[in-house]
Amino acid sequence: MTATLTAPTQVKKPGRPKQNREAIFLFLPALLPVLVLSVYPLIRGIALGFTNARAGLHVDTNFVGFDNFSKLLHNGLFWDSFRIGVIWTLSVTILQFVAALGLALLLNTDIKFRGVARTIALIPWAMPPVVVAIMWRLLLHPTNGPVNEILQNLHLTDHPINFLGNFSTALPAVIVVGIWVGMPMTTVTLLAGLQGIDRTLYEAAAVDGASAWSQFWNITLPQLRTVIVAITSLDMIWNFNSFGLVYVLTAGGPGGKTMLPMLFAYNEAFRYGNFGMAAAMGDVMVVIIIVFLAFYLRNRLRTEA
Amino acid sequence: MKKVMTALFAAGALVALAACGGNSSNDNSSGSSTEKVTLKFQSLAFQKTTVAATKKIVADWNAANPNIQVEYVQGSWDSVHDQLVTQFQGGTAPDIIHDESADITGFINQGYLADLSPYLSQGTKDAVSQGVWDTVSNDGKVYAAPTLMQSYVVLANTATLKQAGITATGDSLSWDDLAADAKKLTANGKYGLGWGLKSPTATVLNLGMNFDAKFFDGTGTDAKAVIGDPELEVPKRIHAMAYDDKSIDPTSLTQSATDVLPGFYAGKYGMIVVGNYAAQQILQEAPKGFQWEVLPPLKGTSTKQAANPQTLSVPAEGKHIEQSAKFIDYFMQADNLAAVGQGDWLIPTTQAARDAILKATGGKNGWPETLASGTELTKAPFQSVENYPKWKDQIATPAFQEFLANKTDLAALGKKLSDGWSQVNQ
Amino acid sequence: MRTRSGTRVLQYVAVLCYLIFLGFPLLWLISSSLKSPQEFASITPTLLPKHFDLSNYTDALNEQGLIRGLGNSLQISIYTTILVLIVALPVSYALARFRSRLRPLTNGWILVSQVFPVILIVIPLFMILRPLHLTNTIPGVVIVYMVWSLPFALWMLQGYVAAVPRELEEAASVDGASRLRTIVSIVMPLLRPGLIATAMFTFISSWNEFFFALVLLQDPQLKTLPLVLARFVGAEGQVQFGPLAAASVLATVPSLVFFAFLQRRLTSGLLSGAVKG
Repeated sequence: MTATLTAPTQVKKPGRPKQNREAIFLFLPALLPVLVLSVYPLIRGIALGFTNARAGLHVDTNFVGFDNFSKLLHNGLFWDSFRIGVIWTLSVTILQFVAALGLALLLNTDIKFRGVARTIALIPWAMPPVVVAIMWRLLLHPTNGPVNEILQNLHLTDHPINFLGNFSTALPAVIVVGIWVGMPMTTVTLLAGLQGIDRTLYEAAAVDGASAWSQFWNITLPQLRTVIVAITSLDMIWNFNSFGLVYVLTAGGPGGKTMLPMLFAYNEAFRYGNFGMAAAMGDVMVVIIIVFLAFYLRNRLRTEA
Repeated sequence: MKKVMTALFAAGALVALAACGGNSSNDNSSGSSTEKVTLKFQSLAFQKTTVAATKKIVADWNAANPNIQVEYVQGSWDSVHDQLVTQFQGGTAPDIIHDESADITGFINQGYLADLSPYLSQGTKDAVSQGVWDTVSNDGKVYAAPTLMQSYVVLANTATLKQAGITATGDSLSWDDLAADAKKLTANGKYGLGWGLKSPTATVLNLGMNFDAKFFDGTGTDAKAVIGDPELEVPKRIHAMAYDDKSIDPTSLTQSATDVLPGFYAGKYGMIVVGNYAAQQILQEAPKGFQWEVLPPLKGTSTKQAANPQTLSVPAEGKHIEQSAKFIDYFMQADNLAAVGQGDWLIPTTQAARDAILKATGGKNGWPETLASGTELTKAPFQSVENYPKWKDQIATPAFQEFLANKTDLAALGKKLSDGWSQVNQ
Repeated sequence: MRTRSGTRVLQYVAVLCYLIFLGFPLLWLISSSLKSPQEFASITPTLLPKHFDLSNYTDALNEQGLIRGLGNSLQISIYTTILVLIVALPVSYALARFRSRLRPLTNGWILVSQVFPVILIVIPLFMILRPLHLTNTIPGVVIVYMVWSLPFALWMLQGYVAAVPRELEEAASVDGASRLRTIVSIVMPLLRPGLIATAMFTFISSWNEFFFALVLLQDPQLKTLPLVLARFVGAEGQVQFGPLAAASVLATVPSLVFFAFLQRRLTSGLLSGAVKG
């Protein structure tokens, strides 16, 4: 992160001292609550990974160095779930981005009923998570779910499929639900980004006779870049971290095929009471995700101001 | 680095101390029974009828005990475990905690629950069988009062049964008879048996008691996994019915217990195996005219099943343990247990309450068979094994699911179960 | 810009596909909420209920605290949204525009706070809030939600601020406008879509939040909607689906109304004139 301080020659306008003062002034209202309610608990949580903290009354907690991490290294089940987590995260993030970009572009045109369409597109967002998972279980129900009913009526399958219980369909099925849940978020963000693009750019390109595809490729995508990077990186983090949805859908089954790493860490802490070990899993995930994102976000984490 | 850590922990400890100094309860009496106290009772009552019955018990108690007022707080099964973990850590658990034995075993080991044995009345102690007390006790201390239990029962579609000329009477239904009946009922795309085994471990281990399956020998972290023929008997039989006889719908094996019900109403399954609580749901949603019955309890070498009662406990750090235990004692009275048991279609832990239900329902809707299974419920070895939950989630559930999906054979299942234990019990 | 009619038709078809995918589950939920338990369990599902049965709604409304839960959730979500916007706008401006030492620190904090399992932070958080007498209060929940929605808001808003052309501000500062004035009168209108998107996100994440609320709010009077809804889920995967569906339809309506209202404003201030309405 020291990279941020190495480019002083680029500073154009008012001198650094004044900038820093002004910046701090703008930061002030957020500072105290963030330090007390987020930074401090986070540091404690991260530090927990270096202890043997366990649930229990009057239990002593000791600093154990890297013990948890070396144990974790040999925990095959954890790394299995990690692999599933990577498949889940990348599939959901990429497919969701492509789908959401398509929808955002459509909703940004002058089609009729745009307002209604935009509101309907937000439906998955408006549903409480506990309901979303239960509802999808019913939609995909092999005996009386509409999805199987429709597939059978269209003769796409002759026998009902239990999407969430079948070894080969469970992960794809939860990925579809994952995409569904996250669509509004990504769509709205991209739509807001599209709205911020200066229309005169398109007009100029149209005068030059650029095709729709070339306008999209040469104007829309570059202009959206900051927003795309921001939302896909967040989506990636959230998807990697999510487990509540999958937990209600499949509880990690069948045969551990949908056991996401965060569900694994959650069980370690809340079901088995090993807070220290669970925090160590969290630490490992923080490091891995940040290394991964550092590559993805190298421009943004440095500076482009 | 180490210095920073120490400083952080010191800071954390200070905050924790400050927190302990605070008064978490909404009154300041210190346990003497003459002062007025208000107890928070977090209830997980689920069915409308049970919520009403529980609230009535609280209201009756409050009317009779002006100095010990109980406040009903609605909790939910879905989140109770997470909530209690944080509440215990933060020292704000409710005064009376409703949960189930399988879930509180961990809390008992962690020292969060108070020993109720000095406070419960002799009448309550005598009313519940020792096998059931064992599920909530450890080292002679009693950490909860067991209230209601479930057992696994076979339900049958009466009309289908009649058509096939099957009469199931007697004290028990052997596993061989179950397989034979299921085979008879399987025809024309219909299956003899639907069995929701999405979460197979609890069912397999509980019903394993039918064949004296142990799964574990010893207690705490010293326990050893015992996986032999008796332990694999139940999965073997289920597998044979699904893939040799083809009398269990394999799809149903991947569904949750209650997800199988629509197929039962529609005649797709002649019989189902479910926890007896499902009966309440059937009563509410089965189509008019749908007739069903509870078959006699399943029998291997015995009709034993593991007891996993619902429980009422008091936190060890509670301020009013004695008063809370008094209320629990009151809750355990036959009429009260009968009222909540009837609402949730669960079996009360006391014979007196079971008799009361039998009388109140006039022996209809399969209550006699349901209640009869209550006497055979007892503690299973796995219930005193500390790392059982971990083994269940990480090893047993995936292994059983694979086996029931016909992806591995019995030998591989046995190996996974025992190797997995040494892996998680480190 | 004129679009050829062939493309136009394709656009409508594509939008329709999207809307079916996104909207059908709600339709199914509404239809389920109107079915009797018998019809709900029927093996041949139909989109339209055969008889409309309102008993799920009466059951849901009779449930202890559904309406109060709606009120609490609304209150908490609105306060949180307003607070987040007030706090996040200046900070994200500073993040996007100044090369301050705080920037890498803040971005680091944003990432770590999103990655580390929140569930492990609840206990220390609880220990801090208790001596401050903020547990079991609405302000306590609002401030926690504010702090935990902030990372997202900052992350997104600095992206949107970075997209606002610097030249506009430079022109204003040449005219002698103060920094604050510039933010309010030049940057804010251009940021409107970004602010709206952030507001929608903050609102909905507070509206749906479950775990902090579960731990922080014990008083039945203060329970939020997700806590009330969880009550319909029982042990062993049992769900009282009818009342749950009815309650969730009731819970979904306020957010959808809020969205319908906000999405109109999801167009950029300066540029909206150029877009045909």
